[in-house]
Amino acid sequence: MSKTALVTGASRGIGLETTRRFILNNDQITTVVMFARDSEDFDAAVAELEAELPIGRRVIPVKVDVGDRGALKKAVKHAYDEVGNIDILVNNAGYTNPVPLQQIKMADFEKTMNVNLYGPFTVVKTLLNRGNRFDLIVNIASTAGINGRSGWLAYSASKAAVINMSQAMREELSIYGTRVVCLSPGRTATALRKTLAPDEDPSTIMQPEHVAQVINTISSPVGRFIDSENIVVRQ
Amino acid sequence: MYSLILLNGGIGSRTGANQPKQLLKLRGIPILVYALVTADRVDQISQIVVNYPPEWREQIEEVLEAYAISTPVTLVEAGHSRHSSVAAMVPHCTNDDVIIHESARPLVRGQDFQRLIDSEFRNVSLMSEIAFTVAPVDPETSAVTGSLDRSRLRNVQLPQKFAKSDLQDAHSSAREQQVEFTEDATLVADSGFPVHFIDGSDRNFKVTTSTDLKMAGFLLRPEEDDDE
Repeated sequence: MSKTALVTGASRGIGLETTRRFILNNDQITTVVMFARDSEDFDAAVAELEAELPIGRRVIPVKVDVGDRGALKKAVKHAYDEVGNIDILVNNAGYTNPVPLQQIKMADFEKTMNVNLYGPFTVVKTLLNRGNRFDLIVNIASTAGINGRSGWLAYSASKAAVINMSQAMREELSIYGTRVVCLSPGRTATALRKTLAPDEDPSTIMQPEHVAQVINTISSPVGRFIDSENIVVRQ
Repeated sequence: MYSLILLNGGIGSRTGANQPKQLLKLRGIPILVYALVTADRVDQISQIVVNYPPEWREQIEEVLEAYAISTPVTLVEAGHSRHSSVAAMVPHCTNDDVIIHESARPLVRGQDFQRLIDSEFRNVSLMSEIAFTVAPVDPETSAVTGSLDRSRLRNVQLPQKFAKSDLQDAHSSAREQQVEFTEDATLVADSGFPVHFIDGSDRNFKVTTSTDLKMAGFLLRPEEDDDE
């Protein structure tokens, strides 16, 4: 049976590599809805994917800021009306601006929570309220959500909330038979990581495609047997 | 296709809560939702008729909307008793066959509905064996008046299914005779229609007391709690 997936933060990093895996290497997924902010990166990524799409597969790019709740709700409703049921959701979009506690601006803390926590919640709730029945929800948290990190207070707190929210989601959505997986990648060579650790050599750490491979395995039939409250993926 | 009558009109006097028990939370979710979501996934159920305690319509509607139940739902105000509620709900059923369930049995599974639907008979109830001894007594004199063979008795459960016409006729005749029944399998059988049973599970119990609520919560906990 053909499945539809929705991936947020799909213009680069883990989101883009997950989309690529899903649409090129997953037997079941035939449509991927890609959510990302408007950017040249996004346009280029979509063009590249479309050039190598197998017959019968499609990607649907949607330009939306996950941190803008009103726009996000609208985009989710529109996507549901266009493609129907979303079987697999990967809540990947993330934001960070690492500054010490004394210098955190409230507006920036709120933006972090909006993108990292309220965004995933909004996508799930909006779809459920419209009658969507998920097979699988993958929430991307972080190892920084397991322990608070000095200098990353807002990011760590938001990801800790994602881990906790995933546990509650998992229990509540079990009435539909929905699997909820929380995945916490360690150091991964993404743009977000570059913001957190600007001096690090990205070639020495885990690559986005490695995390995407894990997500793809979780989304495959055997993924049902990979079951833990918070799956840590690290090098 | 079947219309599901989902009895939901109780006021929760025995659970000790200050709201109808179907809105009480079981593992954080209103009890009513469990049966609704399960029935919503049964292909042969094309209509759900739900009743509601007077004054609580709005709260029931909120639950139906939030959980986006896709099967069309008809709301009917509850009667003064279970018997009168069923009688008032049957005319709203648009199919020739009716299933009766109650939201106070949240542990019902899709396969329970399916086994009922698959039965060759039209009037069928889930029933379970009685694991204890029941004695006939005279409550006035406290005298035990004989014995009962429990192998010939069953604990009546829900869901049940009926031909709508049989159920309607049984209720009409009960009304004429001014009698009320506490459930419909014995009502329909007593009216002369054939009624059969299939074995139900002791897991599908009715949540009546606060202890039942705790037991249901225990049974619904994630299975990994049993892992080593």
